[in-house]
Amino acid sequence: MTKILYTDKLDNCVERWRSAGLSVIGPVRNANITAYRPVGSAADLELSQILPDRSIKELFFPQTEPMMRYSIKKDAINTEECLPPVGPRIIFGARPCDASGLAIDDPLFGWDYKDEYWFNRRNETVIVSIACTKSDEFCMCTSLKLSPDSTKGSDVLLRPLESGKGWQVEELTDRGREAFKAIAELLTEGAEAAAPTAVVAEKFDADACSEWLRNPENFESRFWKEISVRCIGCGSCTYLCPTCHCFDIQDEGDTFTGIRRKNWDSCSFALFTMHTSGHNPRSTQSARWRQRIMHKFNYFPGKFSANSCSGCGRCTRQCPVDMGITETLQEISKLSQ
Amino acid sequence: MTENIHSAPQNIYKPAIMKIVARHDEAPGVRTMRLEFQDPAEHEQFKETFRTGMFGLYGIYGEGESTFCVASPETRKEYIECTFRQSGRVTSALASADVGDLVTFRGPYGNRFPIEDFYGKNLLFIAGGIALPPTRSVIWSCLDQREKFGKVTIVYGARTVADLVYKHELEEWQKRDDVDLVLAVDPGGESPDWKHRVGFVPTVLEEAAPSAENCVAVLCGPPIMIKFTLNSLKKLGFEESNVYTTLENRMKCGLGKCGRCNVGSVYVCKEGPVFTAAEVALMPQADL
Amino acid sequence: MSIEQQYRTRAKELLSSGEVKMVIGYSKGSTPDRRRPAFISTPEDVETLVLDGACIANLSGYLVTEGLLSDEKRVAVFLRPEGIRAINILAAEFQLNAAQVEILGFNTEGNEPTALSGSKVDDFAELIGTLKGIIPDTAGEELYKKLEAMSPQERFDFWQSEFSKCIKCYACRQACPMCYCRRCIVDNNQPQWVNTSSHTLGNFEWNIVRAFHLSGRCVECGNCDRACPVNIPLRLINRKMAGEVLEAFDHFAGSSQTQEPVMASFKKDDTETFIL
Repeated sequence: MTKILYTDKLDNCVERWRSAGLSVIGPVRNANITAYRPVGSAADLELSQILPDRSIKELFFPQTEPMMRYSIKKDAINTEECLPPVGPRIIFGARPCDASGLAIDDPLFGWDYKDEYWFNRRNETVIVSIACTKSDEFCMCTSLKLSPDSTKGSDVLLRPLESGKGWQVEELTDRGREAFKAIAELLTEGAEAAAPTAVVAEKFDADACSEWLRNPENFESRFWKEISVRCIGCGSCTYLCPTCHCFDIQDEGDTFTGIRRKNWDSCSFALFTMHTSGHNPRSTQSARWRQRIMHKFNYFPGKFSANSCSGCGRCTRQCPVDMGITETLQEISKLSQ
Repeated sequence: MTENIHSAPQNIYKPAIMKIVARHDEAPGVRTMRLEFQDPAEHEQFKETFRTGMFGLYGIYGEGESTFCVASPETRKEYIECTFRQSGRVTSALASADVGDLVTFRGPYGNRFPIEDFYGKNLLFIAGGIALPPTRSVIWSCLDQREKFGKVTIVYGARTVADLVYKHELEEWQKRDDVDLVLAVDPGGESPDWKHRVGFVPTVLEEAAPSAENCVAVLCGPPIMIKFTLNSLKKLGFEESNVYTTLENRMKCGLGKCGRCNVGSVYVCKEGPVFTAAEVALMPQADL
Repeated sequence: MSIEQQYRTRAKELLSSGEVKMVIGYSKGSTPDRRRPAFISTPEDVETLVLDGACIANLSGYLVTEGLLSDEKRVAVFLRPEGIRAINILAAEFQLNAAQVEILGFNTEGNEPTALSGSKVDDFAELIGTLKGIIPDTAGEELYKKLEAMSPQERFDFWQSEFSKCIKCYACRQACPMCYCRRCIVDNNQPQWVNTSSHTLGNFEWNIVRAFHLSGRCVECGNCDRACPVNIPLRLINRKMAGEVLEAFDHFAGSSQTQEPVMASFKKDDTETFIL
């Protein structure tokens, strides 16, 4: 027997959570795109898409956010901190790849210096993921040692029932159990079978790739130029990525008042590493693509013990020139044989 | 890589407010400012944390922040001195700030030169152009406890005589008998009354030929100078693990988050900026 | 022989004879309906070239890749009529020497590619003349008409909602053959003309600046629209601007390589209806 949440109770759940003071967030389709957004009722949720077009990271690390407001007077500078508007939240219907992405970035935002903008939100958010029963040709979680029903980063994992009428509930963390207390009476004990999870074929051998990447000789391989020759240097792969974490700090305002902001930035952009002197350590697009791959599958795992990729496949799905991590790692897999 | 020391304030991105108490033009476009903390608690924290080699993010609200080293030594923590070349948006704003004006500071960040490990050893400082400031922080940190070290040699070169920074301190070092100062300018950069050497730093260094015996070298300069000077040091018998240098990658956060300074497996802001030449050799050279 | 095979043969001849150093075309993509840009420099590799109805992307932007044409050697490129118009503009704006570009012209009617005769940009002048005022790709036409019928406030609300999705990944800019600036205005910070932040205001600034910079220059290839990862119907903005420029100045972007840039040239008989 397992706990079951039936779809027809979902509206009540949303209501309960809301009256318990939680803001409810989930995949919402609006203006031709699906993203994690606040929901008023279960009807707002778009749970049938393979995964939302935009990743979950923006709920913890928005594309732009104020860090502080400044005002400058004759003999004083006033800094007013803008910490994120917090309050408990529940994200219903995250995909396991998105939830994993957050767990992958936690050590980065927390090594030595804790980034409050990230952790204040992390600490107040319950993540309820739904295992995938559908996938497409871009999904690659299984190549990253994750799966359509990975629990990494989730507080509760729901498995869709075969009947399509609800989900088996697997509470994973105390935070998840606490949030599901509020809807305990809406859950049913049952033995209904879960639908099989999506079959996601392994597309590359991530370990072999990491090993190839760690070999200093391969840093100067002609491969990098060949694989990235069509890259146009936009930031869409990095901005849709649930684990890409690079940012810029920018001031907006005048000499007297304004806002200092934390904005997404991308290693794909030529200006990312450009020194004021004009010297640019990564002056070509192939060097920048190499950095992205090296960072995700060599440098990052060396520091934080996980690849900086959860296999969502958005990079390839949306690439204007049909590039992405999958093809690059498939080619590296071949080279490493 | 040496141990990283720091203590984080609540909001790690919130800067301290500093007052400019003095400023001095070193060379065309190059200025030194002396800054004092306005908040005693922040000053206390700086005193506890700062060690030579660490850097900071200096800023003007409305323009942004710019990264450069703390040029003052760890033996003088009443103030912070920084030296910068006016080149971008932030440094232009800093250059237009006057004595009495307020600026922002975040830091000190990064690792440090492990000068305790240098006790009892001879020291060789080599710097090129605007890279004297980070070296100067170590130099004074050592000279202020001169008795703990052996022979001190400083090799400093700049493009032209005008480009030499800390001219008054160069004079002071020149006069000391416990410091051996070798000054040089690039060929063509000498003034009619220039009494010192003419030549590039690697050549001048080889001519001066300091002994590698029981000696630690601190080397700061533009990438091209570092490259050739390392060769010269090798010729003189220096082990790469006895040569220290600092990297100056572009940074935004200084805290190992924003990803910008990542080169090879290190985040320069957190695991650097001080590395031995042996450590630098392990990094992908094309990305430096 | 299929048109695909004909073009492969032609590409092979061009490479074998040394007439061009590279052929920029299309090859198979990661899914059956995707095509990706391909850069072929050896005759053997021409077999990987694909030419079919899915070859939509305008490849002309790759020609201004830093250094590609600096050796004065020639490059062949597969181009639909919009792409050919783009070559005219790039030549008119001194971004490339059109003599270095060998055009493998084609069109796609429905799902089938058709050959266009000619190899130099001027060979297509007549064809381009017949296209004047015709929207190359009518995707989004229904929405366009709906927008035209809206009140200014409704239209503003529509674009506000669309631009609020923008994440400033600059895929539109990078995919656009006309956005060739080495340093885009948004990347300038002395002074900082445009906010880099991706809030609604910053997004408006960016998209409006781009619309203005493309007025009278956009060939409506749709690269920006297809590149946008958040599905903003960018082509409609450019279609509107192209329509305005055609109406006000009788200017059809990319008609010839000597055509003056409409927003950067003054004629005594220019319409002045916009001056109040």
